[in-house]
Amino acid sequence: MYGYLGPNGAGKTTTIRLLLGLHRPTAGLAELFGVDAWRNPVDAHRRAAYVAGEPFLWPALTSAETFAYLARLHGSVDTAYRDVLVERFQLDTAKRVRALSKGNRQKVQLVAAFATRAELLILDEPTSGLDPLMELAFRETVLEAKQRDQTVFLSSHILSEVEALCDRVGILRKGRLVDEGTLAELRHLSAQTIEVTFAGVAPRLEALPGVKVASAGASVLRFEVTGSVAPLLAALAHQAVVALTSREPSLEEIFLHHYDGSDGRAPG
Amino acid sequence: MTAVRPARAVAGRALADSRVRTGSFALLLALIAYANAVGYRHSYPTLKGRLEFARSFGANKTVQLFYGIPHDLLSVGGYTAWRLAGFGSLLAGAWGLLVAVRALRAEEDAGRQELVAAGSISRCSAYVAVLAAIAADTAILWLATFLGLLATRLPAGGSAYLALATISPVPVFAGIGAVASQVAPNRRLAVELATAALVLAFLVRVIADTSNGLGWLRWATPLGWVEQLRAFAGPDPAVLALFALAGTLLLAAAGAISVRRDVGSGLVRGRDSAPPRLRLLSSPTALALRGERGTLTGWLLGTGLFALIIGVLSTSFTAANIPADLRKQLHKLGGASITTPAGALGFYFLLFVLAISLFSCSQVSAARHEEAEQQLETLLALPVSRLGWLGGRLLLSAAAAAAIALTAGASAWAGAASQHAGVSFFRLLEAGANCLPVALLFLAVGALAYALVPRASAGIAYGLVSIAFVWQLLGALLGAPHWLLDLTPFQHVGFVPAQPFRTTAAVVMLTLAVGAALAALLAFKRRDLAAA
Repeated sequence: MYGYLGPNGAGKTTTIRLLLGLHRPTAGLAELFGVDAWRNPVDAHRRAAYVAGEPFLWPALTSAETFAYLARLHGSVDTAYRDVLVERFQLDTAKRVRALSKGNRQKVQLVAAFATRAELLILDEPTSGLDPLMELAFRETVLEAKQRDQTVFLSSHILSEVEALCDRVGILRKGRLVDEGTLAELRHLSAQTIEVTFAGVAPRLEALPGVKVASAGASVLRFEVTGSVAPLLAALAHQAVVALTSREPSLEEIFLHHYDGSDGRAPG
Repeated sequence: MTAVRPARAVAGRALADSRVRTGSFALLLALIAYANAVGYRHSYPTLKGRLEFARSFGANKTVQLFYGIPHDLLSVGGYTAWRLAGFGSLLAGAWGLLVAVRALRAEEDAGRQELVAAGSISRCSAYVAVLAAIAADTAILWLATFLGLLATRLPAGGSAYLALATISPVPVFAGIGAVASQVAPNRRLAVELATAALVLAFLVRVIADTSNGLGWLRWATPLGWVEQLRAFAGPDPAVLALFALAGTLLLAAAGAISVRRDVGSGLVRGRDSAPPRLRLLSSPTALALRGERGTLTGWLLGTGLFALIIGVLSTSFTAANIPADLRKQLHKLGGASITTPAGALGFYFLLFVLAISLFSCSQVSAARHEEAEQQLETLLALPVSRLGWLGGRLLLSAAAAAAIALTAGASAWAGAASQHAGVSFFRLLEAGANCLPVALLFLAVGALAYALVPRASAGIAYGLVSIAFVWQLLGALLGAPHWLLDLTPFQHVGFVPAQPFRTTAAVVMLTLAVGAALAALLAFKRRDLAAA
C-alpha cells in the first residue's frame, strides 16, 4: 500500500500516466510487472486496474452497462464481489452515467476497478467528490484489497487518508521525489516536537546539536529535535520542569516540512 | 476595480470561439459566388449559347431539384442568383443551425453556461449577447459573399441584394437551432432535430419546384422564400420581411424557454434510468457502433431517399433538348453525356462522392471527440491497444461508408427502374461503390491528421474535402492546367454508370488510403493523448 503525496501540479497524475503508458517518457522507461508500459501497454494493464481522478465515462450508458463494458475490456471480474461493492457504495445501477453526480460517477469507477481483483490498483485521488460515509466505505474496500495481497498505489493530497491506509509514502515536489519511506522512517528523519513547561520563567538554554527552539512563551518552550533527544534531556535535567510532552510529527508536518522550506531539499 | 460589461464579454467569447468556422465558411461562400459568375461568363459568352442553356439545362427537373427555379438565365447576374441563392442558401441554413446549437447547447453541455449564468449577467442578456455574436458572424458571411460577387464585376447594388438573399435563411435556421437547443437535452440531439427541420424545408422546396401545380408550397419553406427574392430578376425585397418575422419569432421563443427552464437540461428530458442492454458492449468498436447507430440510420435514410428521387428524375433529360454546345460544356466537367438516364445518374452520383467524403470527416471528428472528452484515457488504461481502438474505428467507418454508398446505388436503381430507365441494378451498385475510393482516401487522410495534430483534425478533414471539391468545379470551369486539376481526388472519379469504373485511379487512391491509414496508426501509437 503505497501513498503518493504532492500538492496540485506536482506531477502525481503525470507519473500515473507514464506508469500506464498513456504518456511517453522523454527518458528512461516505466514498467509494470516488468513489462514496458509504453511499448506493451496491453500486457502491462492486464494485471492492473485504474481509477482516474476525473471520472470520464460514457454518458449514455447506465452504470450496469458501464460495468459490463469495463469488465469485458479488462477481461477479469468478480461479479459477486461487484454486487457487494454496489451495495456498499449504494449505487443505483439503472441510472445513466450522465444523470450521476461527480461523486457517484467516481463510485462507478471505484466499483469497476476493485471488482477486477487486479493485482495492482492504481488510484488517482479516488475519493475526490465522495462524502464522508463513502470515504469510510472506500477505506474498508482498500483494506480488503490489502488483505488479499493486492498492491495499492494511492495518489492523494488528503494526508489523513494516506496516513490511515498506507505503509509506504513518497512525497513529490515539482516532479521530483523528495522523500520516500515507511511512515516510521519519515518520522525518524523529521523533527519531533517536545514541549516543556517550566515552573516560573523559562530558562535560556545553550545551543544544542539537533535542537531548535520552535516557539517560546513566558514559561513554555517548544523544541524541534532531529535525531537523538538525549542532549536535550541532559540539559533539562537541572531545570524546574513541570511538564514535558513529546509528539511524533504528523504526516502533515512532514509534508509541510518539505514544502514550506525555501530550499526544499530532502533531509538525509 | 475596472467595470466590465458581462454581456460584451459573453458576446466576445462567442465570436472568438467561432472565428475559424465563420472565416472558412465565409471564404467558401465567396468562392462559390465568384466561381459561378466567372464560370458562366466563361462558358456562355453569347446570347445564343445562353438561350440554349436556359431552354435545356435550366428547365431540367433534376437541376432544379438542387438549385430551384431559375428566373433569368440570360444574364450573368440571373444565372449566379439561381445557383448561389439556390445552393448557397442551403449551406447558409446549415451553418445557421450549427452555429446556434454550438453557441447555446454545446456551451451548456460543456458546463460553461453554468459559469456564465452564475456571473453577474441575467440569462436573458447572456442569450441576447450570444445572438449578437451570431449576427456579427452573419454580417461577415454577407460581406464575404458580396465581395466575391463584386470581384466578378457584377453591379454593386444587385450583388449586395443577392448576398443578402444567400444568407437570408440564417436567422430562421439559427432560430430553429436555438429552439432545438432548448428542447434537446444534449448537443447531438439538438443538431439532429435542427438538421431534420432543414431537410424537411429542402424537401418541401424540391416538391414545390418539381411538381406541377404545387408552386404555392414555396411559401411554406424558408428555402422557397429565397427563390421568391428573385435577385437580378425582378427583385422582391418585401419577402425579406418573412425571414425577419420568422427569425424573430423563433429566436424569441427560444429565449423565452431558455429563461424558464433549468440550466443544463432540455424541455425533453431523456430518461435517466434504463434496464441494462448488454448488446454491443464487447469492444470499443462495438460501443462506437452502438453510439453511432442513430446517426448512421439518418445517413442511410437520407441518402436512400435522395438517391430514389434522383433515380426517378433520371429520365428527365432527353437528347432533343440538350444542344451540342451545352454537351461540350458538360464534357468539360467530366465528359459524360447527361442526355441518357445513365449519364444523368453518373453526373449526380458525384454529389454522393462528396456526401460520403463528408461522412468520413464526421467519423474522424467522432474519434477526436472520444479523445477530447477523455473517455479514451479510461479505455487505454485498460488492456485495450491503441492500434485496436483506432484501427477498429477506421474499419467501422469504412464499413459504414460502404453501406451508405451501396444504399445510394440500390435506391437510385429503385427510382430509375420505376421510370423504366434501363440502367441495370449491378451498374448502379457499381456507381455506389465508385464513391468509396475518394471517401476512404479522405477518411485515411483525416485519420492521419488526427494522429498528428489531434486538436485540428476535424477542421483539416472538412477543409480538405471542401477545397478539393470546390477546386474540381472551379478548376474545370476556368480551364486550369491538367496537372493542377489532377491534385483533387474528385477529378479521378468516373461517371459510373455512364462511364466505366476507373480501376487504375481507384487502385491508386485505395493504395494511398491504406498508406495514410497505416501511417496514422503508427503516428497515433507514438503520441501522447490530448484532451480538449
